[in-house]
Amino acid sequence: MAVSVAKQGYHLGHHDEHDANHDEVIYRETRDMRLTGFVLFLGTDVVLFSAFIFAYVYLRTSIAPVWPPMVDGHQLPRLDTAFAAVNSVVLFGSGVTMHYALEAWKHALKRRFNLFMALTILLGAGFLGGQAYEYAHARIGGWSGNTFGASFFTLTGMHGLHVFIGVWFLIALWIQTSRGVYDDHRFFGLTAGTLYWHFVDVIWVVLFFLFYLW
Amino acid sequence: MATLAPGVQTGPYHAVLDHIHPEPTSFIRKYIFSIDHKIIGIQYMITGAVFFIISGLLAEIIRTQLLTPNGLLVRPDTYNSIYSMHGSSMVWFVVIPLLTGAFGNFVMPLQIGARDVAFPWLNLVAFWIFPVAGVILFSSFLVGAPDAGWTEYPPISLMGPPGTNLWCIAVFMIGISSTMTGINFLVTILKMRAPGMTLTRMPLFVWAQFATTPLSFIATTALGGALAALFIERVFGVPFYDPKRGGSPLLWQHMFWFYSHPAVYIMIIPGFGIISEVLPTFARKPIFGYKMIAFSSVAIALLSFSVWAHHMFTSGMVPWLQLPFMIITMLIAIPTGVKIFSWMATLWGGAIRWKTPALYAAGFIITFTYGGLTGFFLAAVPLDYHEHGTYFVVAHLHYVLYGGSIMSLFAGAYYWWPKMSGRMYNETLGRIQFWMVFIGFNCTFTPLHWLGLLGMPRRVPNYDPSYQFWNVFASVSSYVMALGTLLFFYILVDSFRNGKKAGPNPWGARTLEWMIASPPPYYNFKKIPAVLAAPYDFGNPLPYIGLDAADGAVEATPTHSSHPVPTH
Repeated sequence: MAVSVAKQGYHLGHHDEHDANHDEVIYRETRDMRLTGFVLFLGTDVVLFSAFIFAYVYLRTSIAPVWPPMVDGHQLPRLDTAFAAVNSVVLFGSGVTMHYALEAWKHALKRRFNLFMALTILLGAGFLGGQAYEYAHARIGGWSGNTFGASFFTLTGMHGLHVFIGVWFLIALWIQTSRGVYDDHRFFGLTAGTLYWHFVDVIWVVLFFLFYLW
Repeated sequence: MATLAPGVQTGPYHAVLDHIHPEPTSFIRKYIFSIDHKIIGIQYMITGAVFFIISGLLAEIIRTQLLTPNGLLVRPDTYNSIYSMHGSSMVWFVVIPLLTGAFGNFVMPLQIGARDVAFPWLNLVAFWIFPVAGVILFSSFLVGAPDAGWTEYPPISLMGPPGTNLWCIAVFMIGISSTMTGINFLVTILKMRAPGMTLTRMPLFVWAQFATTPLSFIATTALGGALAALFIERVFGVPFYDPKRGGSPLLWQHMFWFYSHPAVYIMIIPGFGIISEVLPTFARKPIFGYKMIAFSSVAIALLSFSVWAHHMFTSGMVPWLQLPFMIITMLIAIPTGVKIFSWMATLWGGAIRWKTPALYAAGFIITFTYGGLTGFFLAAVPLDYHEHGTYFVVAHLHYVLYGGSIMSLFAGAYYWWPKMSGRMYNETLGRIQFWMVFIGFNCTFTPLHWLGLLGMPRRVPNYDPSYQFWNVFASVSSYVMALGTLLFFYILVDSFRNGKKAGPNPWGARTLEWMIASPPPYYNFKKIPAVLAAPYDFGNPLPYIGLDAADGAVEATPTHSSHPVPTH
């Protein structure tokens, strides 16, 4: 955005500077600003998750007498940790393939990049499928039944929404690469996409601990 | 200034700074969907002023209602909606957008010598969320406006009218806008300062915005979570807050105040910044304790994240947590006191010119200190048990939010009006306006302390007849304050019609925005200047090199610069 603005721009008193080196300086500076902005955005997302995580921890530790809570005299079952563990491996695997995809792009290995992008998107979609299966089989009273369901479905749903957006983000980036938007030393979008994908992974680590191991 | 740095530092970001994007020609791109930070700042100002008038009218309905013990004007349930909307609108749609969106946008990039903010398009989107969210908020009157106070505590807010859903949406949206602005400003301040402007050469208003940004995007996002939970509980019945279903009303209070206490500082730290610009300019003296003022803003911002539960002493919170919250709250008085004393020391021995901005700055110091002291009372757990939920709290919060935030907004408005419009305002009318607001304000809210101590509860549409005298006194005084506010808008209109041209630097100020034409040209600075020192050394030559005189820039000799001042 800022790059294109700068490129459209005209200069007052600096006509002689409009050479390739100057463009490079501008690119690096705007990339730096956008990267900072993007990381701050991810920081705000962490806070949003933290708000709901706080709600969950608070309701679980300070309000509920037992956990999982009692509904109609019966204690709710725990979640299926084994299945979720397998699903987590799928998501973490996509983090690994995303890393290799970015590395391949940096080294101008186009075919390798395409392979790892495809794998990442498939694994991301696979995780979403696994989560859908789990939602269908979780016997904890639904989203609006009790505080367990409320915190579980809200938090994992928010996370799932982030994965869903992430998958489309990666697809959009992939289309951009095929249209020649990036080259092997100007690829800010791919960096941002990779950061976002790793961020979604890290959130899942926390959620996995909070809902399945705790 | 003979000892200036031998080599001017050229910051790593000067290439971006040097670029100028072309000025749009169509009316819509220039004034409606503009990406120019100055236009966006003025858009924020106009929108905020509209919401200020509406919320002010709501306040006058409240005061008129309280003229008689049984309530003069509206039904009790309508009264609940009116004070709820007054508070919500004043906090989220007037004070925060005006201090950050309006003044932050207009002044901050000029003061750091930039041509725009880091992300101009994000700025445009952030602004346009604001009026849309405001319309959504006020349209809740059509379906039954929220009636649980601006804090919307469950379980009352869970039972509230349908407009409460619109309230959630509107406040969530303005939160997103605030988050965008916070990120945008932080990147701008970190990355786009003019060459040579190190952190400790930044104007104090920029420091204030800098300290505010993390509050805007961390605290606001936490509120977003709380609002989203309230919304899904109201609409889909997902239990978070309903105690009957395993939820907890205290959970809302924790989440809400984790945001709303830092929000108090979003609403005052930029005001501190404005006062720190106005005082040295009108005292013709270097600001006293530049670094202390700058760092104390950051200290306040950090501390503000660990004091929220002082709003909840009477809510049934675990008792052992009360003591740490009380102590940390009282600690905030230290950085705040550092500022107050630095400002007074700035005035001390200065050649003060009592123009309207200076009057407002001095008024601010008085009323804000008063509000800060009653805050100290409320932070003390035993006193809070007595005063919580009474008019003492109402008086306290208006002393800091009106006597603090709005007074600083008036100071900033008069101070930067010549820069924004290119014209001077009528000084006599300005002074009359100050005294109307200052006297009206103090006579409205001082008696409310006494009523609170006597036990008059807040948020109730009627009261014991023994409270009537001071209520009538407060209401009549509030009309004076309201007339003063209307006079302010008349002064602006009058300035447009009859004001004489301001020139680049009517106050003889030293920060960068005064070094260019009024109003500033589209690209701000024809050449980005290099900065050699902090801007407040009155009596010394200006610490800038490379300003372009052809552009309306002045190699300014301030009108009163001959005042001999020791440098430090």
